[in-house]
Amino acid sequence: MKILVAVKRVADYNVKVRAKSDNTGPDLANVKMAINPFCEIAVEEAVRLKEKGIATEIIVVSIGAQAAQEQVRTALALGADRGILITTDTDLESLAVAKCLKAVCDNESPDIVLLGKQAIDGDNNHTGQMLGALTGWAQATFASELTIDGDSATVIREVDAGLQTIQIKLPAIVTADLRLNEPRYASLPNIMKAKKKTIDSTTPADLGVDVAPRTTLLKAEPPAERKAGIKVEDVAQLVDKLKNEAKVIS
Amino acid sequence: MDKNTLQQLQAIVGEARVLCDADSLQNYGLDRTTVWTAAPCAIVLPGSIEEVQAIVRLAASEDLAIVPSGGRTGLSGGAVARSGELVLALDRMNKVIDFNAVDRSLTCQAGIITQQLQEYAAQQGLFYPVDFAATGSSQIGGNIATNAGGINVIRYGMTRDWVLGLKVVTGNGDILELNRGLLKNNTGYDFRHLFIGSEGTLGIICEATLRLAPPPQERAVLVLGVSDFPAIMDVLKTYSGALTLNAFEFFSDLALEKVLAHQPLSPPFTARTPYYALLEIEQSHPDSLDTAMSLFEHCVEQGWVLDGVVSQNQTQAKNLWRLREDISETLSFSKPYKNDIAVTISKMPDFILAVDQLTQQHYPDFEVVWFGHIGDGNLHLNILKPDALSVEDFNQQCNAVSVAVAELVQSFGGSISAEHGIGLLKKPYLSYTRSDTEIALMQEMKRLFDPQGILNPGKLI
Ligand SMILES: Cc1cc2nc3c(=O)[nH]c(=O)nc-3n(C[C@H](O)[C@H](O)[C@H](O)COP(=O)(O)OP(=O)(O)OC[C@H]3O[C@@H](n4cnc5c(N)ncnc54)[C@H](O)[C@@H]3O)c2cc1C
Ligand SMILES: Cc1cc2nc3c(=O)[nH]c(=O)nc-3n(C[C@H](O)[C@H](O)[C@H](O)COP(=O)(O)OP(=O)(O)OC[C@H]3O[C@@H](n4cnc5c(N)ncnc54)[C@H](O)[C@@H]3O)c2cc1C
Repeated sequence: MKILVAVKRVADYNVKVRAKSDNTGPDLANVKMAINPFCEIAVEEAVRLKEKGIATEIIVVSIGAQAAQEQVRTALALGADRGILITTDTDLESLAVAKCLKAVCDNESPDIVLLGKQAIDGDNNHTGQMLGALTGWAQATFASELTIDGDSATVIREVDAGLQTIQIKLPAIVTADLRLNEPRYASLPNIMKAKKKTIDSTTPADLGVDVAPRTTLLKAEPPAERKAGIKVEDVAQLVDKLKNEAKVIS
Repeated sequence: MDKNTLQQLQAIVGEARVLCDADSLQNYGLDRTTVWTAAPCAIVLPGSIEEVQAIVRLAASEDLAIVPSGGRTGLSGGAVARSGELVLALDRMNKVIDFNAVDRSLTCQAGIITQQLQEYAAQQGLFYPVDFAATGSSQIGGNIATNAGGINVIRYGMTRDWVLGLKVVTGNGDILELNRGLLKNNTGYDFRHLFIGSEGTLGIICEATLRLAPPPQERAVLVLGVSDFPAIMDVLKTYSGALTLNAFEFFSDLALEKVLAHQPLSPPFTARTPYYALLEIEQSHPDSLDTAMSLFEHCVEQGWVLDGVVSQNQTQAKNLWRLREDISETLSFSKPYKNDIAVTISKMPDFILAVDQLTQQHYPDFEVVWFGHIGDGNLHLNILKPDALSVEDFNQQCNAVSVAVAELVQSFGGSISAEHGIGLLKKPYLSYTRSDTEIALMQEMKRLFDPQGILNPGKLI
């Protein structure tokens, strides 16, 4: 069984990203970049499937700047077998990414495509679903458990009201939620071995995909700063403030 | 405390700032040691250096002993009040007074929480580098009074290296302004350095001017599985020769096992190895990580290192750090007997073999957990209390062996307290590191600053 995993290069989850002073977007100069945490979970799930003897090959793909090669290398160190890097300097929208992935699916015919449920930069939560529509394959989003059984899979999904269990036919698109697994650390011996694994480079144009954006970013602003809290002297003052300033009690 | 003294104290700080309730006496009477019972007479919370001065003068006239109190995260009983002392807590003196970008320094009151100071520095685009697992509760005054070290000493030194000036109130009630933030000031004896590490015995530290560093660049954390103890020192030599190390820590497999049992953390890798080294490297060059990697290959070829991981993002870096930083807190459930000992780095391998023999001989039935700031030659040796044993019996058994450990430390020319200070806990062993002449001079010196002996009596000397 062949698994395709998509990984996105994003600002590290722990970095406080600021808006550029001219409000044209987030300021990512000298910011630590990493694999999107949900994509990391997708990679881990693929590796576990391989360790269980279910998957035979894991292909990792990233679409973005040349620097995204770093994230592909990390995924290779975590256990993926080979990489595909689709480079472009265009700011990619979800649909463009989904179309690139569709082209890769056409070439590679994977049995499962694993993605993060969303990327922590755009927070769009689009790509997996769009890829589902483009391929016409079954999709299971927000997966917190994935069990493969022959040519079908059972997926437990995290939905608003609780958990939903569904069965889907392969090939399928599965997007990872937070509780699917806990990703491992990249071991140094594996990082060294990963250096010898191949990464094929291509471009959206080579894949016949038009990635030109359809929306224009007008302005990126930081959220309004929260006012600092105050310390009240006693309960009477607290009650007074809640009544007369915050007006949350009467 | 008699009524008259109480009223005078209340007149200085206000009625609400003298605490005598049982909870406060308990809370303010103890640090993180588990040996003594809290018994202060009262807690006083001054809001200014003038109030501190008035309290000290009052205490001197009433012959009332004072225990200066910071965050009470101390591990040597320095802030313990067990015999009717007045606890002078600096909690309310917690403001930044001045920040100077040109001098790259800040002046603050001594009661500021260390972590708040670190955050303030970060907001200014600078870095206060003294850091350890208790900085969320410890105060800068307590850090200075104990000359705290921590996890970045290999790169940045101890608290002493960051103090540019102090404002203190001596046991005489004098206010001294020591060094006033100057980088260069060769005008005789530098009293500032006497107060650093004085553990509340010379005066109350009320304000400090601290040097700040440029912010560190991107950091990566490596955890390496190491085959035996001497190999850790080989790894240290290999890495410190080629890269900028912010930290080089180590812990034993038992330490890891305890942490994993109590904290929601994953092991670094599946294989278990006898020891682990944790390295934080600064990625000052684009190829720092490649260098780290080729050094790793070398260490593996030499048979020193069996496996290893490197953080891929800051979440992983934090979680790997927790494997080391959560040890102390995890072990505190077993009321451990703590040794915080140091020798020069070059003597470490022989020293550790000798300590290992000694503990195996004396504590065959106790769990002994090793960890520490090994890049600084600093070893934390923790002996865990078996559940069946009472705290008293356990401490008694440990005390007996402590003499043997102290003798060993002495024979290696080491220190019986690397960074936790002497306080009450290590006082019986001070003479294994300091000569009789030195101790006599320390006592003389204390008399100069605190002639009536009202400041933290019974501690340190
Ligand atoms: C989990 C844990 C990890 C730790 N790790 C480290 C470590 O890595 N490195 C390290 O060095 N220490 C470590 N410690 C020990 C402790 O945190 C430090 O010694 C710290 O500097 C104590 O600061 P504090 O404000 O809590 O001081 P306290 O415990 O309140 O007091 C310590 C001593 O300083 C005196 N004092 C406090 N404030 C003043 C003042 N304003 N003026 C005069 N004297 C004063 C007290 O009388 C006492 O003698 C650790 C402790 C814990 C609990
Ligand atoms: C051209 C020139 C340039 C200089 N530039 C600098 C400079 O940039 N920075 C700077 O700091 N200084 C400078 N100095 C001053 C001087 O060189 C330094 O103070 C130097 O450290 C003095 O060392 P010395 O061995 O000559 O000491 P001496 O002049 O012999 O003695 C200086 C003091 O130390 C005492 N002393 C000497 N040896 C001992 C000992 N073994 N034990 C106890 N006490 C002792 C003496 O009693 C005396 O009080 C400069 C001097 C000159 C002439």
